[in-house]
Amino acid sequence: MSTGTPHPRKTLERLPDGKPRFRGCSRITDYDYLGKLGEGTFGEVSKARSKKTGQIVALKKILMHNEKDGFPITALREIKLLKQLHHVNILKLEEMAVERPKSASKKPSMFMVTPYMDHDLAGLLENPTVNFTEPQIKCYLKQLLEGCAYLHANKILHRDMKAANLLINNRGILQIADFGLARPYDDDPPKPGQGGGEATREYTTLVVTRWYRPPELLLQLRKYTTAIDMWGVGCVFGEMFKKRPILTGNSDLNQAQIIFDLVGSPTDETMPGWRDLPGCENITDWGSKPSRLTTVFRELSPPALSLLGELLKLDWRKRINAMDALRHPYFRTEPYPARPEDLPSFEDSHELDRKKFRDQKSKPPPAPAGGAVGIATQGEWAINGRSIPPLEGRSGGTGGAGPGSRVPGGRYANGHNSQGYGRRPLHAQNGAYGGGGDHRGPNPYPPHRDMPPYEQGQRPPYDQTRGSMPPQVYDESYSRRPSGGELSSLPVPAGDHALPPRPPPPEADPFRHGQQDEPAYRDDGRGPLPPPSHPRSRIPPGAGADYRRPAHDRDTYIPPYSHADPTARLPAMKNRRRDDRPPYRDNGPPPDYADHLSYDDMGAADRERGRTRDLDGLPPPPPPPPPHPQGGVYDRDRDRDRDRRPRSRSPGRDWERDSHNSHSHSHRDRDMHRDRDRPRDWDRERDPRDHSHSHSHSHSHNHNHNHGYRDRDRDRDRGYGLQDPYRR
Amino acid sequence: MAPISSVEYLSNPLVTSNQLLDLKNSERDNGLSVRFAQAQLTSAAGILLRLPQEVIAQAIVLLQRFWVSSRPEDREGFSPKTFSAATIYLAAKLSATPVAPRSVVNVYAYLTSKASPLLFVNPQGAPTDPDPADYYVSEGTYERERQRLFVCESVVLVGIGFDTRVALPYSLALTYIQVLGVSSASLARRVFEHLNAGLLSPQLLHLTHQPHALAVAAIYVAARETGIKLVEQNWWEVFDVDREDLGFLVLAYGSLANFAEAEAKKWKGIALSLD
Repeated sequence: MSTGTPHPRKTLERLPDGKPRFRGCSRITDYDYLGKLGEGTFGEVSKARSKKTGQIVALKKILMHNEKDGFPITALREIKLLKQLHHVNILKLEEMAVERPKSASKKPSMFMVTPYMDHDLAGLLENPTVNFTEPQIKCYLKQLLEGCAYLHANKILHRDMKAANLLINNRGILQIADFGLARPYDDDPPKPGQGGGEATREYTTLVVTRWYRPPELLLQLRKYTTAIDMWGVGCVFGEMFKKRPILTGNSDLNQAQIIFDLVGSPTDETMPGWRDLPGCENITDWGSKPSRLTTVFRELSPPALSLLGELLKLDWRKRINAMDALRHPYFRTEPYPARPEDLPSFEDSHELDRKKFRDQKSKPPPAPAGGAVGIATQGEWAINGRSIPPLEGRSGGTGGAGPGSRVPGGRYANGHNSQGYGRRPLHAQNGAYGGGGDHRGPNPYPPHRDMPPYEQGQRPPYDQTRGSMPPQVYDESYSRRPSGGELSSLPVPAGDHALPPRPPPPEADPFRHGQQDEPAYRDDGRGPLPPPSHPRSRIPPGAGADYRRPAHDRDTYIPPYSHADPTARLPAMKNRRRDDRPPYRDNGPPPDYADHLSYDDMGAADRERGRTRDLDGLPPPPPPPPPHPQGGVYDRDRDRDRDRRPRSRSPGRDWERDSHNSHSHSHRDRDMHRDRDRPRDWDRERDPRDHSHSHSHSHSHNHNHNHGYRDRDRDRDRGYGLQDPYRR
Repeated sequence: MAPISSVEYLSNPLVTSNQLLDLKNSERDNGLSVRFAQAQLTSAAGILLRLPQEVIAQAIVLLQRFWVSSRPEDREGFSPKTFSAATIYLAAKLSATPVAPRSVVNVYAYLTSKASPLLFVNPQGAPTDPDPADYYVSEGTYERERQRLFVCESVVLVGIGFDTRVALPYSLALTYIQVLGVSSASLARRVFEHLNAGLLSPQLLHLTHQPHALAVAAIYVAARETGIKLVEQNWWEVFDVDREDLGFLVLAYGSLANFAEAEAKKWKGIALSLD
C-alpha cells in the first residue's frame, strides 16, 4: 500500500475494531442464545446476545443440506452483497458465525448475524393495537426511500420489496432486509427528475412477490429498471394506510387486473410501450378503466395521494425514483415526518399473544401472497414471530395452520397436514380445490377436506366503493384466498400424489366472487381461455431434464436458507393443485369465513395449536389418514408427505420434490434424505443457461403436458419459473 | 446517498504482518513449495474447466486468504488438492460461469493422475499415451469426492469469513496503460503475463498489495522488458503507488521466474504430493 498519500485511507488490514480483516468467522459460542424467533415457520432464526459486545442480534441459520451444489449460491450472493452495503436503512450483516462440527468431515453450520429488529412492517400493520399516525408513516416511508435511494445509487436492485421485508426496531429505524433476490443493476442509476430511466439489458421477470410486483413485470418487460422497487414502495405506502396489502392478486393475471382496476388500464399515454410487451398470460386487452386511486385512497391528503400516484405509475420510465420521492412535497407539508426517535415503541411482535391478538381483530388482513419470488426470504427475516406469508403461499401452503401460519384455520391446508391443524370437520369431504375457494355462498362443491374454508379477508373499505366495477375482478383483489377455480379446470392429476379429480368449477355460483380467473375471462369476453393445463408454464419442453434447472418452472425462487427447517411446516403443495393462495399473516385475525362457519372456535383451536408449536418447536402431529375417495395409495402418499415435509414455506421445495419423484426415488429414500432435498432450490439460480429456459417458457405453455400436474398447477397461478436473479 | 465507498470495489482486504508470520511459522519445510504447486494446480484446473482467467485469479486469491486466515488445524482436514478444488468451485459458483461438481472432480482427478501434465505431479512428464483408466472417476469415487468438496467449500468459507469478493488488477492495468498513452499489444500482453504469474507467487501479493499497486508494478516491469518507454517522471505516483511499494512488487514480479526455476530444480525427479 502506498503511504504518504494526502487523503486518509480506510485501513485495509484491520477492521475498525482492530481485528484483522482476514479472520475466520466467529464462533456461535460467542453468542448467548436467547430463544428462537419464529421457529418452525421459516427456518431457524434465533435471538442471541453477543458475549463480546452485548449486542442483541438475530442469527439466521443457513441451512445446507443440499448435497448437490454445496453452499447455497443465493446465500453466498446475499452475503457478498450485504458485506458491501453500509446504510442506516439497510439491515446490516454484522458477521458470519459458525458452529464447528466435532468431526472435521462434517459441514459446519453457518449463521448470518444481523442486528435484532423488533418488528417487521407487515407484522406491525397486522397488529390491531398499532395505528400509524401520519408523521409516523412519513417517517417510515422516508427511511424506506432513503434505503432505496442508496441501493439504487449503488446500482443494486432489491427485487423483493414488500412490507414483510422491512424491519423496524423500537427506536423507529426502518431497515430493508432480505437481499436474497437482489442483484447488481447494470445500467445507469436513476437520475433526479428522470424516473427510473431505461435499462439496456434484460433481467429475469420472475422476481418480486406478486402482490408487490409492478405492472411492467407482470407484462413481462425484461429490460426493467430500479422502478420495479419503487412500485413496491408504493404498495407498501398504500399498505401503511390501509393496514393491509393493497393489491392482492391471486394469480399473475389477476394481479395485473386488479392493478389496472386501481390505477386505470394501460394506454399509450399512461404506459407507453405496453402494447409491445408480451403481456400477461397472453392477455393483452385490459379494457379501458379509469384510475380509481383517488376514490380508493380518498382519505389521503392531496400530497400523499400525489406521491402514491407517482409511485404507482404504470409508466415505469416516469415512475418517480427514490431521490425525487424524497423531495416530494409530501415530506415538506404538515404534518411533518416524525423523527425516528420520537416514534412510539411497540410490543415485540413475537412476544404478542397471538390469540389475543387475533381476537381483537375481527378481520384478518391477508398476508402477502408469496407471489413469486423471494418469499421465502422474507420469511427468514420475519423474526418477529410472525410467520412469513410468502413461504406459505408458495411452499405449498403447507399446513397453514402451522405455528406461524397466519391462517388460524389452516387456510392453506393443503392436503397435507390437514389434520392436526384444525381442519374443519365441516368440510371434511374432499372438495376440490375449485370448491375450496370461496365458501361464502352455497357452493355446490364443498371444499376439500383439507382446505378449511377460509373466507376472504375482510374487504377494505374501498372495496365498497367500487361501484360498478366488475365484481369478480375487484373482489379478487382482496381475496385472500387463492382462487380455486382455475385450478379446478386442470386435468386430473395422475400419479402418486395426484389429487382426486376436482369437480368442475362452480361457475354458476353467484356468490363466488373472483374465485376463478378463467370463467372471469370468459365472462369478460376477453377471449378464449388458455388451455387449461398450464398456461403459465415456463418450462420449455424437455427442460425438466436439465439438472441445473428445476424440473418445472414455477417461479420459485429459491428462498435462501430458510426453507430447510425440518420442523417447518409442511410444504405440501405438491399434491395440491392450488398454488396461489396468498399466505396469511399469522398475526392477522382469522379469516372471515362465510357466515355459516363458526370461525372463532376453529380458529381458536388452531391458533392454540399453532402457538404451542411455535413455542415448542414440535413437529406437527401426525395426521390421521384422510378419507379420500381415491383411496389408499393416494392417501398413504399424502400422509407420508405430510410427515416427511417440514413445515417450511419454502417455495422451492415442492418442485424439488417433484423432480425427485420423477426420478423415481422411493418415498422412503426421500424420507431418509429429507434434509438433503431441501436446499435444492438453490440450484435454480445457478446456471446461466437457465436464462434461455426462463425466457422461453412463458411461450411454451402448451407444450408441457408431460410435466407433472403439480408443476402445471403451480405455473399456472404463480407463474414462477426458474429464476436467476444474478444472471440477468 | 453516499455511494458504496470505491474502496470496497477497487480494493481488497489485506493481510496483517502477524498473520504472515503465523502462516510462515505454521508451515512445514516445504510449505512454500506446496503453496506454489497448489496455485499452479488451481490455475491448470481453471484452464481445463474453461473458466475465465478472472475466475481463476479469484479462486487463487480465495485460496491465499484461506491460508492466512484459517487455523492450522483447519487446514489439516483436507488435502491441498481439495482446497484447490473447493476454491475454484466456489469462485466459479460466484461467477457467471459456474461449473458442475462433477467437472471439478474429473479435472482434479486428471491433474493428479499419472496422466497429468503437471511436472510436480509427474516429474518425468506426462506419458505420451496416457491410459484413461488412470483418471477415470467412478460413480462411487465421485460421490465421495463431491462430499469432500462440499465440506471443504464450507470450511473455506468459514475460514475466509465469507469474504468472497476479490478485486483484481487486470482492468485497472489496461486503464493505466491507456492513461499512459501507450498502445502496445506486446506491453499489454506482458503486463497480463506478469499479473497472472503474480498469482502463483508464494509472497501472496494479492493479500499484501492492492490491485492498483499490482497493476502499476506489472506495467513497470513489462515496460522495461519490452523496451517501451513510459513518461519520464515518477508516473506511478499518479496512480497512488509510492516508490517503496513499487520496488517491492517489481522485485516480486521480476524474481518469480527465478523462484519457479529453483522450485523445478528442487523437485526434479521427485513428485510433490498434494493429496
